[in-house]
Amino acid sequence: MASLKRTLGSDPLASSISSKVYVRSTKSGKVQKIVREVYLRQDIPCSSRLCQSCLETAPRDAVGRPTPFVLSEAPAGTSVFPQGHYLVPDTNAFLTAMDLFEQSAAFYDVIVLQIVLEELRNRSLPLYNRLLGLTKSEDKRFYVFFNEFRLETHVARQEGESVNDRNDRAVRKAVAWYGLHLTRTGAKKVPAVVMLSNDRDNLRKAKQEDIHACSLAEYVKQLKDGDKLLDMIPETQDQETIKEKRPGAPLYPEYFTMSKMMTGVKNGLLHQGTFNVSPYNYLEGSIRVPAFPKPLLILGRENINRAIDGDLVVVEVLPKDQWKEPSTQVIEEDAITKDENPDAEGTGDLVSEKERKALQEEVKRSHSKTTEGHAQPTAKVVGVVKRNWRQYVGHIDQSSVSQSAQQGRKQDTVFVMPMDRKIPKIRLRTRQVAELVGKRILVTIDAWDRSSRHPTGHFVRSLGELETKAAETEALLLEYDVQYRPFPKTVLDCLPKEGHDWKVPESVEDPGWKDREDLRGLLICSIDPIGCQDIDDALHSRPLPNGNIEVGVHIADVSHFVRPNNAMDTEASIRGTTVYMVDKRIDMLPMLLGTDLCSLKPYVERYAFSVLWELSPDADVVNVRFTKSVIKSREAFSYEQAQLRVDDHSQEDDLTKSIRTLLALSKKLKQKRLDAGALSLSSPEVRVQMESETSDPIDVKTKELLDTMSLVEEFMLLANVSVARKIHEAFPQTAILRRHGAPPKTNFDELANQLRVKRGLEVSVESSRALADSLDTCVDPKEPFFNTLVRIMATRCMMAAEYFCSGTQAYPEFRHYGLASEIYTHFTSPIRRYADLVAHRQLAAAIGYEAVHPTVRSRGRLEAVCKNINVRHRNAQLAGRASIAYYVGQALRGKATEEDGFVLKIFSNGFVVLVPRFGIEGLIRLRDLAEPEPAAEYDAETYTLTTSGSRDLAVELFQKVRVRVTDQKDETTGKRGVKMELVRVY
Amino acid sequence: MASSQHVLLSPAELAYLHASLSLTPPIRPDGRTPIQFRPLSAETGILPGTNGSARICFADGTEAIVGVKADVERTAQRPGEETVFLEGGAGDDEDDQEGETKEGVDKRKGDASWVEMTVEIPGLRDDDSGTAFLAAMLSEALLADGEFVKRLWINRRFHWKLYLDIILISPPLSYPLPLLSLTTHLALLSTRLPRLKSEGDEDPFFDDDWAAAPYLFPRPAHTTTTTTTTTTRPPITLLVMAVGNNIIFDPSKEELAVADVALAVSVAGSTAETGKGEAEEAGRRLRLLSVRTIDPPSRLTPPGIANAANTAYGASNGAVGTQKMLEARTAEAEAVEGVWRAPRGGAKRMVLGALVQKVLERGGVVDEVLDALEGVELG
Repeated sequence: MASLKRTLGSDPLASSISSKVYVRSTKSGKVQKIVREVYLRQDIPCSSRLCQSCLETAPRDAVGRPTPFVLSEAPAGTSVFPQGHYLVPDTNAFLTAMDLFEQSAAFYDVIVLQIVLEELRNRSLPLYNRLLGLTKSEDKRFYVFFNEFRLETHVARQEGESVNDRNDRAVRKAVAWYGLHLTRTGAKKVPAVVMLSNDRDNLRKAKQEDIHACSLAEYVKQLKDGDKLLDMIPETQDQETIKEKRPGAPLYPEYFTMSKMMTGVKNGLLHQGTFNVSPYNYLEGSIRVPAFPKPLLILGRENINRAIDGDLVVVEVLPKDQWKEPSTQVIEEDAITKDENPDAEGTGDLVSEKERKALQEEVKRSHSKTTEGHAQPTAKVVGVVKRNWRQYVGHIDQSSVSQSAQQGRKQDTVFVMPMDRKIPKIRLRTRQVAELVGKRILVTIDAWDRSSRHPTGHFVRSLGELETKAAETEALLLEYDVQYRPFPKTVLDCLPKEGHDWKVPESVEDPGWKDREDLRGLLICSIDPIGCQDIDDALHSRPLPNGNIEVGVHIADVSHFVRPNNAMDTEASIRGTTVYMVDKRIDMLPMLLGTDLCSLKPYVERYAFSVLWELSPDADVVNVRFTKSVIKSREAFSYEQAQLRVDDHSQEDDLTKSIRTLLALSKKLKQKRLDAGALSLSSPEVRVQMESETSDPIDVKTKELLDTMSLVEEFMLLANVSVARKIHEAFPQTAILRRHGAPPKTNFDELANQLRVKRGLEVSVESSRALADSLDTCVDPKEPFFNTLVRIMATRCMMAAEYFCSGTQAYPEFRHYGLASEIYTHFTSPIRRYADLVAHRQLAAAIGYEAVHPTVRSRGRLEAVCKNINVRHRNAQLAGRASIAYYVGQALRGKATEEDGFVLKIFSNGFVVLVPRFGIEGLIRLRDLAEPEPAAEYDAETYTLTTSGSRDLAVELFQKVRVRVTDQKDETTGKRGVKMELVRVY
Repeated sequence: MASSQHVLLSPAELAYLHASLSLTPPIRPDGRTPIQFRPLSAETGILPGTNGSARICFADGTEAIVGVKADVERTAQRPGEETVFLEGGAGDDEDDQEGETKEGVDKRKGDASWVEMTVEIPGLRDDDSGTAFLAAMLSEALLADGEFVKRLWINRRFHWKLYLDIILISPPLSYPLPLLSLTTHLALLSTRLPRLKSEGDEDPFFDDDWAAAPYLFPRPAHTTTTTTTTTTRPPITLLVMAVGNNIIFDPSKEELAVADVALAVSVAGSTAETGKGEAEEAGRRLRLLSVRTIDPPSRLTPPGIANAANTAYGASNGAVGTQKMLEARTAEAEAVEGVWRAPRGGAKRMVLGALVQKVLERGGVVDEVLDALEGVELG
């Protein structure tokens, strides 16, 4: 009996065929063996400008040109490699120190191996995307070399070799090949090819094979300003060193294995959701899981188990005897963990004495409760599915800095207090303590070991001194993930060549005029806030012979300039929205378009997209049509100017008359809307007045409401609703719409209870109409602001409105709860919102103006766009508010004023006061009331806090109080904010 | 399928063949000894997309390939079985992964439905009785003792489902049962299942590294540990026939045409290794899994006619009457030297016993075959 094994040796082409075998597990539980054939080739270029031979064989594009080579012919040198060098990092180098590679000081001419890129994608998608961004940037000169497909650098896995070892070998082989290949170019100065790795074994093998190799730290030390960059390398996570250092027992429970968690979630024994930390109590988190209507509470460090706000975690419900009430106390991390020593990690218990005390109070309170059943289910985190760590802005906690560190350049461990209170403080090792104290810095979290009480991170960069405008603004932009980098060249290339000289073509024969209506003759004007440059909308009205009125809303025709799927469109879809800060605007579209070519400026002709209605005198829509048009705005009013003009009876010109008509109609429209159950909600809005020259804030004003604002608003709503109907009719599956879900009743439980107990008022939430009516009854004859206060609180119980693609929801779900409209979209601000731009494209296709572009009817893509702009929209709002809060703090700097405020929320050791004059909220703690801290009794049933001892007070919810407002730097977050002191209770 | 197509041999040829095979020692047409196999060539891993595959060619030109695919399947829970708990799963089930080899109770269960086998013979419908019978015999051998399916057990909630696709890629020149069986054996030897990473009764979760995937039938470990480990091997089904008192292995098509008895014998070998390498050979225990009698084609062959009864050789014509008829009947009933007579009746018990004993003989044919297959390089 003979056995035969065919050998591939006889096949002359065998060497250029290889295969890759792996096991793929699909979501549905299928497990497949996958075999991919790999065809090896020799025409993959090295992409070094020194190399001529690769240039000859490199694949060419359709025009016959090879892609330009990336790596510089004269790369920078270091102290060890004066002849210049190319870098070849391994996967771990990117995983641990991506920030280093993004540095502009060093790290140029980097060869990213395909194997490294693939491995990085499997390990961390965000890092992979950042690396892709780097490879696209022209000045960093990152080149992706497909080493797995090049015959010379392909490595077959050996018997008994682990995947990691094989990949390391592939990296070394690529480095060796590059070295050899470059010497063959015959260049005078051949750059060294240097492998970057933190893996000792890999480095050792490289030395054996005579390849240039450095660890990250070694390499950085060779650089000129190396010391500064050294901090960006995270602590080496060598397994051995950790074991040596921390023999102590781990502080936190171990996480479950992934498969165990998934089994548990599938069987309903565990629950998965996003972990949120309470803004008032860093030891209390909550998680909303699909299985329960109310969120689960997670209390205490041990149960939170290293989860950080935003992480996707799996929790296990605790037994009933451990259920608790949500805390009524304010617990701030800085106050409780103040004197911790960052060096002495893991020596003490997990829960510090003080934290324990704070919890004891809780227990005592919940036990003294007479009424049972208030306890809420609690849970503990058993594992993290996905970390959502980002870069955090913070500052170094002064008290954690040891004296010796202030001078030397010795590495020291300090705590960074993140600006976001919900993020725990981060342990950081740095050599530049002295320089970084008092600065806003950007850090990332690297890891959170079981044996470490706080997460460890590393320094990324400094934004500047605390409380300087530039640093604080950048900090806000970073915290809210606003894309604030200048537009790249590829985007600017999409702008019209004429620049600011672009005009509406004079000849009506021009293709730009095709299918455009000439509306230049109409008396169109725009009404916007003072100083508005990006004018999205303009209006007109004129009487029709039949007694009806023609009203037109004209929106900047942005879709004419931003074509689908070009670089500018992609950039805009990522930015999603323009962000308005107090002193700065982060545009969605380049300035040229936003403030000039698209902006419906007065006295010049502009392209527009018009919605034209025929309205009856009672403001019923008789007819509506949509058209692309050319308009010429007669005047750009501010709200105030328009108001004055309307009120001035001596003005009898046509333009003023038309505004008066619009105003009258808008009031009727508003009434109709309110009758249908639209809510008028409220949020405290203020405006910061700046000194015109230095743009330093000088005063804070609450926004005034003018009729003309409501005029513009009503017609914009009407336009949005009309457009929404039209595009939904044309694209039932893919129209981009905006919905506002009805809030779940439980959201209003707390507020309804508070109003019932305190004022005997009922809030009904059956429908938006019922809610609107019941909110109207919430008045206090003595206190006109009370109604607004209730509205502010009601607003916070609402769901967030969101963009969606019509195919993803059933028609009844389209409803906009707040506006009481069946269907709604955003159409009127395409300069500053991407959703409007998409709506413009869809409307243009719906009226047959242009062909449907595939991107506006691909449901998958639209869903992705909606998801992104929903997040961006929210972040933009938050960033704007944070910016106002910062400037309010700055405006109050050094001033102390007494203001009236209202108690908005009450804890057992403090209460929150809203000051409408500044639109700010402040926390007043018991210990702020008097020295020593007065004893207090909190009655949760009646929402009353009674203090006794050093100061006798009774503070109730909704109560009007007099507070002294001063500015104060918050030591935790490093933000300048307001500090409130209670003067008296009314 | 009839054990082979019609044999195109004349009664005289059949008689000659039968006579030479009945000699001691028998003389086989191709000069083999009675226990010698035809030469074959074998290779594994010919289908990269499968979990295991093999190809075997016999020297007569018949060739078969077998592919094994595995899929994770949820085990139907019978009511009344213990419910699955997260906590319980992690600790006490750990030893179940190799429960068979470790001491303690083997909690693994198997079910015959976890193996699905299809046999394809060119030119035949897949519901042909012959094909179905072949598939039944092959799977019977696999499932006979219930040990094989236990290997497919993952945990109490999941198991592997194995799909065996057995394809004869040449025309069926001889009865393909041994070929298919050996190929299946080899394919199963080369079969690997992804390495399990999860523990206990969790949803299974596997290592994505194929190189780490263990063999369904683990290779004998070349260690010098003193613990006794048993390595079992998948069964093989051999075709054995008897002519007179001679027992002949691996009969060719022509030989089968004169068989008195033909048996399909399924055997599984397990090796108890006691640490010393040499013991492997001696340590193999053979277990008889099943025996099936095959209807040999010889039964359908036309009988020869003795010269005495042949009119062409002077026997009187049909008009002779009943006397002659009686004579012809006795001639049919009694063996006449050199005249072919299709075998009648069942196999003799003694012959069957001898056949089985011969198969299970230590160091015999089966050992030789198993060793040879073991020697085929995997991959």
